[in-house]
Amino acid sequence: MDKPLLVSVVDDDESVREALPDLLKEFGFAVQAFSSAQAFLSSGYPSQTHCLILDVAMPGMSGPELQKELALRHFNIPIIFITALGDAAQCSHLMSQGAVDCLMKPFSEAALLKALSAALPVS
Amino acid sequence: MIRHQRKKGQDFEHEHRLQLPDGTIKHVHLVAHAMKDGEGQLEYIAALQDVTQRRLSEAALGKVRSELAHLARVASLGALTASIAHEVNQPLAGIITNASTCLRMLGANPPNVEGALETARRTIRDGNRASDVINRLRVLFSKKSITIEDVDINEAAREVIALLLGELQRGAVILHPEFADGLPPVRGDRVQLQQVILNLILNAKEAMSKMNDRPRRMQVSTGLQDGHVYLDVRDNGVGFDPQDAARLFSAFYTTKSSGMGIGLSVSHSIIEKHDGRIWACVNDIGPGATFRFAIPCKGLRDPVDVIEGIREPTREVFNG
Repeated sequence: MDKPLLVSVVDDDESVREALPDLLKEFGFAVQAFSSAQAFLSSGYPSQTHCLILDVAMPGMSGPELQKELALRHFNIPIIFITALGDAAQCSHLMSQGAVDCLMKPFSEAALLKALSAALPVS
Repeated sequence: MIRHQRKKGQDFEHEHRLQLPDGTIKHVHLVAHAMKDGEGQLEYIAALQDVTQRRLSEAALGKVRSELAHLARVASLGALTASIAHEVNQPLAGIITNASTCLRMLGANPPNVEGALETARRTIRDGNRASDVINRLRVLFSKKSITIEDVDINEAAREVIALLLGELQRGAVILHPEFADGLPPVRGDRVQLQQVILNLILNAKEAMSKMNDRPRRMQVSTGLQDGHVYLDVRDNGVGFDPQDAARLFSAFYTTKSSGMGIGLSVSHSIIEKHDGRIWACVNDIGPGATFRFAIPCKGLRDPVDVIEGIREPTREVFNG
């Protein structure tokens, strides 16, 4: 059996960090969750991550800032943004900057699956 | 009544509510001065004034004030929409994700009952979290009559800050709370005082919103001074012209393009009704401004002149 693909979740909200990994595991992915952009960057996981699910507004480094930082470090990870602020204009801006999708919290399982299959076309 | 007063032979002053034969109500104010006439007889010189119009105006003013306070709350509700959406959407995201996981765990073969139980528990917890946010909002924004109780200013400020965390985060504001321990309670209406705290914090955030050359820092501190509990909101934003210090609290005075200029005037009337004082100063050290209100703590109502400028408590301390 193939090793499951790694999806990393970066969100400062604990509810999301608890809930989302379990659902992703149910989908068959391996999951790592981080409470901040800095924690993810210093973890050594960026190089192993196949898809990043990233919260937009976080204290310290924000989601879009992490996106820029990863690009600077030449990590080409497909990013799915998630946001609780419900700002459609910001979402379209983030997608124009290369994000695969931008999901407004609360998002459905179907929306998440659609975004994941766009981020990981092979699977 | 006059007979009763005659026995004392002193000056007196009374206010009466009279019902006229046609059913209308008149408020009259009687002032009488006692004097002795040439033969040593007690004589009164009195003036009877119809104060109906004044009483009605006062009642109308009280009503307008309370409407204005409500309007200001609704206005800040608009400013808070993003924050509220954030605070509610987070637990909703948890609920939907957990419920989806729960369905999958139960639908698996064999079902993962233990995992499903855990996700169901988390669903309930997140549901409660969303409901707490709504309850806090309901308390803050519903138009209800005034309730006087013992208010812990630290607790009241913490609740407001909890509601505003998303808004402050969105505005990249770093908040430093510095609450003094063991503060005595103050007597007052908790929701109205929270409205003042909310206004001060939103104003401070607004004052820093255009500033990009330095971190946006806000300090909310509480303490006890001269028998008064005070709360300070200090920002390092644009500050204000010291000449405007007095005008800041008048209605419709605003330096903001989006504001209605009623936030601070409503805050002023709320604090005044609590026998307290609210004022602003430009920071001595560094940029920005500090807004402070101080309210006499419980049991220390009588020495009202501890802080200069506090008016006498009146009969209608809490109308509305």
